[in-house]
Amino acid sequence: MLTEHPWQRLVNGEAADCTEQRDNNDEETVGQGDQLMIEKKSETLIVSKALSRNRLGSRGALFGGFGALLVLMAIICLDSLRTLGAFATYDTQVRQELLYRERTLEQIRAGLYESSNIARDYILIKSDPQAQEILRIELQSIQNETTTALKACIQTLPLSKREPFQRLALELEHYWTTIGPILALSPKEKNLGNDVLRGDVLSRNAEIIAITREVSAVNDNELKDADRRIAEVLAQFRYRLLMVATIAFSFGLILAGTTIIYAVRLEKRAQEKYYESLEAERELKELSKRLVEAEERERRAISRELHDEVGQSLNALLLDVENLVQMSSGDEAFRQGLQKVKTLAENCVNEVRNMALLLRPSMLDDLGLVAALDWQGREVSKRTGMVVDTVEENVSDNLPEDHKTCVYRIVQEALNNCSKHSYAKKVWVVVSQEPHHLRVSIEDDGKGFDPSRVCGLGLIGMNERVSQLGGVLQVDSDPARGTLLRVDLPLPSTSTPSRELSS
Amino acid sequence: MKKLRVLLADDHIVMRSGLRALLDRQPNLEVVGECENGRETVELAGSLQPDVVVMDVGMPGLNGIEATKTIVDRHSSPAVVILSMHADESYVMRALKAGARGYLLKDSAAADLIGAIQAVSQGKSFFSPKVSRILAEDYVRVLKQKGDVDTYDLLTSREREILQLLAEGKANKEVATALNISPYTVETHRSHILQKLNLHTPAELVLYAVRKGIIS
Repeated sequence: MLTEHPWQRLVNGEAADCTEQRDNNDEETVGQGDQLMIEKKSETLIVSKALSRNRLGSRGALFGGFGALLVLMAIICLDSLRTLGAFATYDTQVRQELLYRERTLEQIRAGLYESSNIARDYILIKSDPQAQEILRIELQSIQNETTTALKACIQTLPLSKREPFQRLALELEHYWTTIGPILALSPKEKNLGNDVLRGDVLSRNAEIIAITREVSAVNDNELKDADRRIAEVLAQFRYRLLMVATIAFSFGLILAGTTIIYAVRLEKRAQEKYYESLEAERELKELSKRLVEAEERERRAISRELHDEVGQSLNALLLDVENLVQMSSGDEAFRQGLQKVKTLAENCVNEVRNMALLLRPSMLDDLGLVAALDWQGREVSKRTGMVVDTVEENVSDNLPEDHKTCVYRIVQEALNNCSKHSYAKKVWVVVSQEPHHLRVSIEDDGKGFDPSRVCGLGLIGMNERVSQLGGVLQVDSDPARGTLLRVDLPLPSTSTPSRELSS
Repeated sequence: MKKLRVLLADDHIVMRSGLRALLDRQPNLEVVGECENGRETVELAGSLQPDVVVMDVGMPGLNGIEATKTIVDRHSSPAVVILSMHADESYVMRALKAGARGYLLKDSAAADLIGAIQAVSQGKSFFSPKVSRILAEDYVRVLKQKGDVDTYDLLTSREREILQLLAEGKANKEVATALNISPYTVETHRSHILQKLNLHTPAELVLYAVRKGIIS
């Protein structure tokens, strides 16, 4: 009869406990290694910090570059808009000024023409004082208008351009002083006036017209000048625009190149990281496999040691004690002492055998999987009162070692779960071997659980063992319905099922 | 009186010498040889022609059960007593299938070995009391758990008598002589017994008898 023993917990897969214990041991024994690890860790930390700082720097540079490019483009736009606006204003202003001047000149010309007409009319009119007075007033008004217009025009001009206009004003003044007296002539003096009109007035008139033409020509030139200047500035503007656009374009090109390089490098790094993580995952799997193997090996070694060495020695001890009992003559106290030793040794033998069986049942190695599973079923049934029904169909005695151990441990863990958590009354364990598969199912009539929410260490461990052999583990359970655990292990082609060995 | 010749097979030298010391004190027993692995045992069993082989289960090379099979398959083979640390029926079953007559637990060797050697040398079966007890307990427990009918109740009293004699290791002819019936009738009873108890081999029949406490 097996009793609850510290070893049992270890065997029954309370992995958390034993891992913890092992961790503690590690801490004590590998202290120096830990120190090294910590140093290494801090080193990697520094390196990764530097890397991230570097990454931060290049990212900042990229953001700065893009910002600068955008600012540059905005400046170009604003500058262009401003320059074009200034052009338009300048052009309009120049044209308006010239037009204004031209209009003034035109007014002067018209004034001259009209005034000479008035002078002629005055001479031709016979003595009609009223009409003469009207003509005089008219002349005066023309004189005022033209003088005022000219003065106003001169006022608007810059000093450098005033010269011909001032000449015109002077000439105009002379003209008015020449024409003015004509309208003051008496009817008798009118013949004289005719002469004056024909002589002085007409010559001055021609003079003024010439000056206005000159001014007009100057105006034309100025207009052409302005046009030329505008064209020049426009060309300059175009050149500047081209330059700035070229710079912006090159800058943008460099920036785009840098970004692409940066992105490619990032992508490469991500790829490397991905491969690294894949590698790490693979290593972890390998490690866990080795851990499971090492654990099994260790258990087997300890179990064998206990069984073959300690157990046998104790049995031999028992025999020797029995021999002594038989050889001893009458001394009752001595016999009683020997009897005590014998009882003690018997207890030890039982204890050692139970320990060895719990670690790894010798049936698994001596008699094969079927015997070990049947034994396991009987033991659990004896210990817990749960009915365990084990059926093995065509299960070969020479299954690969890993498969044997895997199935045995899974059934052990599943039965352990059943007895601990499920409140099952009955468990069915079926192991069947097919040409290329080994199928295991463990079904109970217990209270079940929700597999999506419960995933204890036991299930993880089982899954790990099964996936190491390329198999699949399925847990089918619902609260208030039992649990069905199914395992499908692919078999290497060498092991063949044998019917005769099923129990 | 002729001494019983015994061959000892155990890979553990201390165990072996303990067994030898025990047997050497018996006037009617003689240890003719000691071996420490299965192969050697098979050889010596052939050359020394012992009456009984005391065989450890766990031995290097060829284990005790395989060695028993090889030895028993031979003509005029010795009786084999298995020495084991396990009281579990899977071991007992294997030992019986291999042809062993006795199944002894090592921790009770001192008390039972002499009796076991004498029993098997006379063609009887022998099991450590602890083994019989455990097997019987298991049988009762399984019956109770499954709620099955005890098939032993289906046997007639004559069949029960024959079952006991067969389980003790007697051949059909010996049973016939003992009960004063024809061997043919014994064979008919035997097949009825096996059918009623759902058994298939002589080894299963012996195991059943041990479970039921018919023999020990």
